[in-house]
Amino acid sequence: MPTLIVNGRSFSVDAEPETPLLWALREHLGLTGTKFGCGAGLCGACTVHLDGEAVFACQTPIEAADGRAVTTIEGLSNTGDHPVQRAWVQEQVPQCGYCQSGQIMRAAALLAANPRPTREEIIDAMSSNLCRCGTYPRIIRAVERAAGEV
Amino acid sequence: MSGTTHPSRRGFLGSAIGFAVLAGGGLQVLRDAALAQPTSRAVNAWVTLSSDGEVVIRFASAEMGQGVNTSLPMILAEEMDADWSRVRVEQLDQGPVATFGNPNTGGILFTAGSSSVEGYFAIMRRAGAHARRILIHSAAQAWRVRPGEVTTEPGVILHRASGRRMEFGAVAALPQIVTDVPPVSDADLKPRSAWRLIGTNPDRRDIPGKTRGGTVYSIDVRVPNMLYAALALPPVEGERPVRVSDTRALAVPGVARVIRMPHAVAVLAERWEAATAARDALDVEWTTSSPFRSADTEKDLAETASAARDLNRPGVPWEARGNAPDAIAAGARVIEAEYRTEPTYHAQMEPLAAIASVDPDGRGAEVWLGTQSQTVSIAAAAQALETTPDRIRFHAMQMGGGFGRRTFFARDILRDALLLSREMRRPVKVMWTREDDIRNGWFRPATAHHLQAVLSPEGRVTALRHRVASPSVLAFAAPQRWAAANNRDILVMEGTESTDYAIPDFLAEHVILERRARVSAWRGIGWGPNLYAREAFIDELAEAAGSDPVSIRRQLLASSPRGLAVLDTVVAMSDFGRPPPRRAHGISFAGYKATLGAGVAEVSLNTDTGEIRVHRFWAAVDSGIAIHPKNLEAQAEGGIIFGLSGLLKERITISGGEVQQANFHDYEPMRIHEIPEVRIRIIESGAPPSGAGEIGVPMTGAAVANAVHALTGKRLRQMPFTPDRVKQALST
Repeated sequence: MPTLIVNGRSFSVDAEPETPLLWALREHLGLTGTKFGCGAGLCGACTVHLDGEAVFACQTPIEAADGRAVTTIEGLSNTGDHPVQRAWVQEQVPQCGYCQSGQIMRAAALLAANPRPTREEIIDAMSSNLCRCGTYPRIIRAVERAAGEV
Repeated sequence: MSGTTHPSRRGFLGSAIGFAVLAGGGLQVLRDAALAQPTSRAVNAWVTLSSDGEVVIRFASAEMGQGVNTSLPMILAEEMDADWSRVRVEQLDQGPVATFGNPNTGGILFTAGSSSVEGYFAIMRRAGAHARRILIHSAAQAWRVRPGEVTTEPGVILHRASGRRMEFGAVAALPQIVTDVPPVSDADLKPRSAWRLIGTNPDRRDIPGKTRGGTVYSIDVRVPNMLYAALALPPVEGERPVRVSDTRALAVPGVARVIRMPHAVAVLAERWEAATAARDALDVEWTTSSPFRSADTEKDLAETASAARDLNRPGVPWEARGNAPDAIAAGARVIEAEYRTEPTYHAQMEPLAAIASVDPDGRGAEVWLGTQSQTVSIAAAAQALETTPDRIRFHAMQMGGGFGRRTFFARDILRDALLLSREMRRPVKVMWTREDDIRNGWFRPATAHHLQAVLSPEGRVTALRHRVASPSVLAFAAPQRWAAANNRDILVMEGTESTDYAIPDFLAEHVILERRARVSAWRGIGWGPNLYAREAFIDELAEAAGSDPVSIRRQLLASSPRGLAVLDTVVAMSDFGRPPPRRAHGISFAGYKATLGAGVAEVSLNTDTGEIRVHRFWAAVDSGIAIHPKNLEAQAEGGIIFGLSGLLKERITISGGEVQQANFHDYEPMRIHEIPEVRIRIIESGAPPSGAGEIGVPMTGAAVANAVHALTGKRLRQMPFTPDRVKQALST
């Protein structure tokens, strides 16, 4: 039975090893902040961190996450005050909000690896995540705002 | 008063309060709150006061990203004089339509057509003024003074003569409040000069939850003992399962049952991954008798276009002024053109999901659903269980995007959840995958537009006839409304009426065709296709008349000061007609119901690939009084990106009745690297507030098409303007 370390806690998940991490998080562990959008690695709504790197949870079997550190939106910060989350509030980014967990996780991973990205680097990193409401201009501004603070 | 809300599940906690609990000393705050047990008291149907000073304001529209959780309560709080930092907001799950219905959506709880602020503005103001009056009368009674001597400041009731003050929360603790107050009339409402809240930009109440993964959408709902259901749906609408082999499916661990339904085969399992694996292991033979087997978008669009062109085919008049057919028959100079649009899919980011827990007697249920209409969904649930609406305990969930997808449609997945829960005697969550969502989508239908105009010798447009050929959306989506609509389809035809344009002889008509797919409203509704066609045609008329895109529109808008204002503003913002090298500008005037807008696109074109790049987009928007200007701007911006996505990239094709697209690889909305820089200017005309959620869409189509014409001399006559189509246009 694979053991997942999610947001610093260990869980045994009663699921087949090839089960996508997305469903283990959402339906087994109740961490529904990570969203299902396409199931095919196309939209980024399910983006989480695996050992600090942004991955599509829908494309990550739980056996590949076994023993590695998984961080979800719920564990990005204790009180929602990660610089990226704060910037998302300051720029009033979300509309429907459904894609935003994934956007925030993607942005946080970018800034962890590259604290001072150029605008082009921001756009390049964020292009894996779809938003249907059209919040993209605000996403760019929020990542730029958070950049100095990570 | 009735009407229910379930705030505990939502991320709508006011940010100030939320941080108070979550930040330092949180435990102490919680313990004190538990000890104090604040009393709460309903003031009227919309407002509840708590003795700790919290004011709970309800709103009856459904939140799908447009910010009604903030804009609607702001209107009420303004008139009530509530302290906004002490306001908590609650979305209504259900309630009597007489109290809570939106007059602009048929008097029911229905969120569509950018009508929330427009429809509820007067209602929320009066509700706020009524609540304030109750507070004043209650305090006056407690102080034994005349109500006329009592006034308010945000959150406080005052008797200036004696210096007495009472916090709003203290009214909740009074032994008695006075609800029998004189009715509120318009004269009692605050003059605009006294507004403190409307027109400001407080943070949206839903945003903290949406940055923490805390907001609960219907797809997130989990209830104890719940089963998951994945559906095998027919490849073509209307087919039914005739043979089901489920041996392999039932062998998947965790699968509870396979149930054949009239229109689908459902797999019920303890785990979602088991449900989908078992669904994939099903072997289902479907009927092959559906009339939709012959649906073919390419062939059907050609027929749609010929129906639009064939003037012998009667059209249902939507708007007539003067006599356009006669004027055209007699016209010395008649210009004709044709435009087409193809079907589009909503691509809301949250695939459809519904959760139902049917009561043991099978005649009632608790239901969780993201829906644009609580009223319609409750009625659909009652119908599915052959029961009465009072037996449906409804939770209207935050929607992961709506865009028209969750208007009437959500009834089918809700019905399935109810029937499966009743059968299994357990709560059931039905989820659609993205593939299910696309292949069984309700699409904006293809349209063909045949336009004719008469130009006077001076180059004025003296007559215009706009024929739209398409199936009726209303007939499919809302058959009961259609039965009383006299063949007037508001979901297809609205926007053609062109009332801002001074054209003496005018006719807009609808050539109604049989539907060949499931059809639906799509953000912008008819305004998107209709204004793309009309505004691209206006540029053709400008060219024919030897005029230019701005002058001809200024002439047409001569009697519309608001229209002229948005047009002139966007011309100035964009420095229209003076683009950087190798780029061009295109302009479109656009409306959306009472809201007016105008947009300019700046484009370049890769002539080798046919790829259009929109670099910048400017828009001027007049939606009357702006309740929350920053949110209005966000909505307009989002609408523009949505519109550009549709016109550049999005196309549903159907062949042999089967939808050809499956996921975001072959139906890919615009990504972040493809967006233009967007600039919005809000024009405050002082008109009553009107919608903002869709105004961005209708201006995009013609702005881009007209810009491409300015760049290449070629007209783009069919949406979307995909690279292959652009190359084709360039080669003609």
